[in-house]
Amino acid sequence: MEYPVAQGTTLPEFVREVTQADIRRYADASGDFNPIHIDEAFAATTPLKGTIAHGMLVLAYLSEMLVRAFGEAWDSTGRLSLRFRSPARPGDRLTVSGRVESVQRDGGIVCVTCSVSCSNQAGEVVVSGDAELTLPAPL
Amino acid sequence: MITRSSDESVHTVADAGGCGGRRTGAGELAADYDSLTAGQVFQRVEYALDAATVDLYVAAVGASHPGYVPPLAVAARAIASLGGLIALPPGTIHASQEFEFSGLVPVGARVSCQATVVRKLARGPMRMLTLETVIDDEDGRTVQKGRSTIVLPG
Repeated sequence: MEYPVAQGTTLPEFVREVTQADIRRYADASGDFNPIHIDEAFAATTPLKGTIAHGMLVLAYLSEMLVRAFGEAWDSTGRLSLRFRSPARPGDRLTVSGRVESVQRDGGIVCVTCSVSCSNQAGEVVVSGDAELTLPAPL
Repeated sequence: MITRSSDESVHTVADAGGCGGRRTGAGELAADYDSLTAGQVFQRVEYALDAATVDLYVAAVGASHPGYVPPLAVAARAIASLGGLIALPPGTIHASQEFEFSGLVPVGARVSCQATVVRKLARGPMRMLTLETVIDDEDGRTVQKGRSTIVLPG
């Protein structure tokens, strides 16, 4: 990772296929057993017509892209503001992407703002929003 | 279970349960949507983030293991714990989410989460709820804050 990051930089994408097994693992890890995620029979009776991934699982993919780009600085100083646009379903191939929108030095730190989004294989946006973090300024 | 002021008591939930949960870990009834009011502060919920939980999380997400608890794993347990405090019907979904991370949590640590009702909005069959969560480590230091807006099915 090189500092400073530059405005307009495209972050390396993170691609992940959603599986029902991962959704189940995520339910076990998070304690969120909402049947809309894990009970296929129940989910089929809802307007969504099938199970969907936890929104927080999709956000975890997004956070993974940011930690790969910025390391521990993301996990310790990050801010995220996101809106869920459409559900992610088992079998979907999700691509998380991001772009550095601004870089502002303030004394010994650099504030980085990125636009981030996650889209499925059809190009539909699943989640979109903004991320901010603080990096140490180069000497 | 519910306090309307800053209540520092801690409610330990070993198995926080998910959305749709009807009872707290202490066996108390979870609050119904209709009974909630903006400004309402819930009792603090405490939970552990052990190595097994982190391993499951990392496997589910395809994440690299950072050697501490990924912040969204910390947040996921906090959000799931809301299901023990509020009676969220099956089919409840997430509409938006904000986070602010301010500290790392070591694997094996215990944290506590306190939730506050920020906003309720009901239009026809649609019911929305916005909640703020503050997660503190064992020393009382805030490690992250969040704001979740969820949609409850009619």
